[in-house]
Amino acid sequence: MKSAFSGPLEHIGCNCHRIPKSYKAGMRVDGHIYASPTLLEQVRKDQAADQVANVATLPGIQVASIAMPDIHWGYGFCIGGVAATDPAEGGVICPGGIGYDINCGVRLVKTNLFLDDVKHRMKELVKALFHTVPSGAGRSGRYKFDTKETRRLMGEGPRFVVERDLGTLADLEHTEAGGFIDGGDPEQVSDHAVKRGAEQCGTLGSGNHFMEVQVVDSVYDADVARAFGLELNQVCVMIHSGSRGLGYQVCDDALAAFRNCTTKYGIELPDRQLVCAPAESPEGKKYIEQMRAAANYGFCNRQLLMQQAREVFADVFGRSWEDLGMEQLYDVAHNIAKLEEHTVEGVKKQVWVHRKGATRAFPAGHPEVPEAFRAVGQPVIIPGDMGRASWVLVGAPGAMEKTFGTTCHGAGRAMSRMAAKADAVGRKIEKELEQKGVIAMASSRFGLAEEQPKAYKNVDDVVETVHDADLSRRVARMRPLGVIKG
Amino acid sequence: MHELFDHTADLGLRATAPTVNELFAEMGRALLASMVEDPSSVRAEVSERIEIAGADREYLLFDWLKELLLRFETERVLFAEFDVTVSATGLSAVARGEPHDESRHALAHEVKAITYHELKVVERDGGWLAEAIVDI
Repeated sequence: MKSAFSGPLEHIGCNCHRIPKSYKAGMRVDGHIYASPTLLEQVRKDQAADQVANVATLPGIQVASIAMPDIHWGYGFCIGGVAATDPAEGGVICPGGIGYDINCGVRLVKTNLFLDDVKHRMKELVKALFHTVPSGAGRSGRYKFDTKETRRLMGEGPRFVVERDLGTLADLEHTEAGGFIDGGDPEQVSDHAVKRGAEQCGTLGSGNHFMEVQVVDSVYDADVARAFGLELNQVCVMIHSGSRGLGYQVCDDALAAFRNCTTKYGIELPDRQLVCAPAESPEGKKYIEQMRAAANYGFCNRQLLMQQAREVFADVFGRSWEDLGMEQLYDVAHNIAKLEEHTVEGVKKQVWVHRKGATRAFPAGHPEVPEAFRAVGQPVIIPGDMGRASWVLVGAPGAMEKTFGTTCHGAGRAMSRMAAKADAVGRKIEKELEQKGVIAMASSRFGLAEEQPKAYKNVDDVVETVHDADLSRRVARMRPLGVIKG
Repeated sequence: MHELFDHTADLGLRATAPTVNELFAEMGRALLASMVEDPSSVRAEVSERIEIAGADREYLLFDWLKELLLRFETERVLFAEFDVTVSATGLSAVARGEPHDESRHALAHEVKAITYHELKVVERDGGWLAEAIVDI
């Protein structure tokens, strides 16, 4: 089943490899995969590249079906996939191009602590985080919202929780889209979805989601790091989670609702999971309203996760979180579709940019970059694996020219879950990590085994590729000190 | 008979059975095996009736697994035993299990959703085979 990709991947410069339109019937544009020579070997190992070609068949797709260097085999879309569709040309909205975990994303919180302040307290800190922040399959949280409140929360975004003293207005300013995606309609979200989400806001979930205490390990761009307020040996908290059961259910509902759309709108698809509808159709518009509401829930979830981390730090270090300088650097989504203005073949257009495991990376001067960073560009937060590194990058002009303002989202898996689990038999992953200076706690036995560092590509290679292609530039490398996982 | 198979970041469920009815029951058990570390720890203490309409067997399998997952997500019930009758217009089933008890059921994965990707219900070697990929 997991056969190698034998199709064409022609190098066209800047780490970009082309799958020509002629590769597969129905492709409307070429495929573009960004990968260094080393990463390209891994790309060839499975059918992810074929999925890039499949996405190229979507109606209204512009320029190319794009994949980032952390590409791996997904369902429908590959992970690391980017596709922009033009609604004026019958362009579609594709729930599979966003994913089940709508607005899965990453938030980075700074502190004024340094490595020496925390290194002897990591066990205590990780234990406190693990016991306070709910993680693991289906866990409910301490913040319970009834269905009416859950709908309000989706309608207002994290402002709803900030008004309840669970954060500050500055947090909102340092969130993609100001923490609120307009045009959502919580009333369109099904009761099932609301029920799944009502008790899960402020919970990490499972799979690859995590909360990490990290230290700035190297600074690559001193000027941008200064603008971001990052310096060597500074301690930060990284949060990776999404819209929990609510988002999964919104996607599920859309897949069912779109089942007949392919026949209705005459769309031919090579994979049922790519089921889609024209963005301007009644079905498409309804899903967009639901998806935007779910995305606002995702921002709220990370807001509440951050707030719990702030409280734990305050408890452990005996100072208020404000006193500990726990300001949010930025929060950015990597599973989402946004209507954005881009220049396509010299013409400015509003297009639906689908980012499925890919991160927005707007350069300096872009009006959507918060004022505080507009002179340098948008902070891009890239979670890696729990043993090696994560990164802070900054948006670069090349992304606007080549990838609809998009860069990578992480390390990308190199091993399947079952292979990683088999590989971990007889080993103690926690001990191995501790020897490397990382304290890890997980609520599931399988969690650490399936998510062990070896299961991922080296994030440094992925980041080098996007840096060299000018999709985003290196600012700082972060090393994990403590990890909690589902 | 059922098993889990590899799919990079996700998991595959596979079942074989002599009849379609047993195939759907086996896929219910495969779903449980992806969710809990020890499926045999789940006792048949409550029973729920499930009716799903639909003529397409593959979409019916998808809807069946989706319904079991939704009941876990919203009612916290894990299902371990199934009597399924598949007809030309849908399915009628009795699912038996018990509410999730953290002290006895270690959860293995959070299954986010069932996907359409490579969803399969086919006749093979005089019996039936089904596959579905679940998102982890």
